[in-house]
Amino acid sequence: MTPAANQSLIPASRARAHIFYRRLSLAIALFALCSHAISMPAAAADRTLILATTTSVRDSGLLEALLPTFEEQSGIEVRVIAVGTGAALRMGREGDVDVLLTHAPSAEAKLVDEGIVIRRTPFMKNYFVIAGPSDDPAGISKADSPISAIRLIAENESRWVSRDDDSGTHKREKSLFATAGVDGHPQWQGFERTGSGMGLSLQVAGELRAYILSDIGTFLAFHERIDLKALSHPAESLKNIYSILQLDPTRFARPIASSAADELEGYLLEPSTQKRIGQFGQQRFGRPLFTRLHSKKRDP
Amino acid sequence: MNELELQTIAEITIRTLWVCGCALLLALAIGIPIGIVLGSKRFLGRSIAVSTVNAGMGAPPVVVGLGCYILFARSGLFGGVGLIYSLTGMIIAQTLIAVPLVIGITLAAVGSLDDEWNLQVRTLGIGRVWRLWLLVREIRMGLLAAVIAALGGILSEVGASQMVGGNLDGKTRVLTTAIMMKTSQGQWEQAAGLAIVLMGLTLLVAGVLTVIQQSGRTR
Repeated sequence: MTPAANQSLIPASRARAHIFYRRLSLAIALFALCSHAISMPAAAADRTLILATTTSVRDSGLLEALLPTFEEQSGIEVRVIAVGTGAALRMGREGDVDVLLTHAPSAEAKLVDEGIVIRRTPFMKNYFVIAGPSDDPAGISKADSPISAIRLIAENESRWVSRDDDSGTHKREKSLFATAGVDGHPQWQGFERTGSGMGLSLQVAGELRAYILSDIGTFLAFHERIDLKALSHPAESLKNIYSILQLDPTRFARPIASSAADELEGYLLEPSTQKRIGQFGQQRFGRPLFTRLHSKKRDP
Repeated sequence: MNELELQTIAEITIRTLWVCGCALLLALAIGIPIGIVLGSKRFLGRSIAVSTVNAGMGAPPVVVGLGCYILFARSGLFGGVGLIYSLTGMIIAQTLIAVPLVIGITLAAVGSLDDEWNLQVRTLGIGRVWRLWLLVREIRMGLLAAVIAALGGILSEVGASQMVGGNLDGKTRVLTTAIMMKTSQGQWEQAAGLAIVLMGLTLLVAGVLTVIQQSGRTR
């Protein structure tokens, strides 16, 4: 609603009302301005690196633990943009960012095949968990594999919360359902699609007493508050690999900070950083959130 | 854009109109009587009530949403009612956002009537109900401003809808939460498409109300 629309409401004969409405519309306009103002990021400085990553990485707090040391050593300022994996990969595709840190191997492979990503380097891993209410209505804690757990949930048409947001976690959920032989777009009553991030989806699952697939970091951060339990066990099908992706700088009009991105990759693979990755989370959650990957094997 | 997407957009748009429409009607039903009382009666604690309303007019929807979330959640005061992630919960939250706007603008409109008008009405010697009817007729432009402000506020807010509704597909997803979702997923074209629908809706509502208001002025 524009302030002008309010102003033209003034009955011509009422001067006092006129002034009041004018002030009111001004106030409404100011309020609208304030509430809708979007702060624009400042222009990039000389040695800055824009890193797009997923909300689950940001929410784990790992980057806050690792990046200050890197910034100090290298003099590079890292700006972290945390979005869904879909948006992060899209930003890489468009050259809006300098480097990507994601965990969606199949989607990453597509960018590698297209030549947009010139190097994909896995640097840590952990396992997804299937969480659910502690009374476990579908009895999945006794399932012998994550795949049969999914089958039990589908057979019982238990409540399930899907992120449905094309994130790395959602991609994994889809492949688990596909392997379990469940229809690719399940439609039972109680199959909810949030289209939102991990934290929000976990909250929804907690409120609805539903099952959900989650990364371990976000789950541990939320599990007490939402009263859900991890009901799965680490398995190959739940393995979650995090990689750093280097973009091909020749493809974009905007200059890509490739050398800074290389430096960040080197830092993440350093033995001392790898050791810190392997210990991260011990203090806060009583167990590490990630396992380091020593292999320097680079594909392709 | 294929047929399925258009169907989804139509479904989300209808749901948005339903939620905002219900919230608007509720807010008008609650807000106008309170606004008239606050604007025309003098009583102890009136200034406190008026400042509360004024503060409420500026309450960020996201704060109202958080409050509702805490109350509606399983562990909350109304946890057993099942309002969280439901359309009813969203309507309640949006009503809470709109009510202060309706009260504030109604009471401003009542307050702007001059003493002469009050005197004239009193000399007519008519009953209370008729006096009230004349009052409502006299402030109808102000009430229309209240409708515009309230509808604009709830149609465009996203914080409360996201927190209380949860953006569940086919259940509580509305235009604003869908735009947020599509943006975070990197589907910017679809986000823009939904944004155009929302803008169109806002313009349409504003246009219709402006036409009503203009025709009211010339009478």
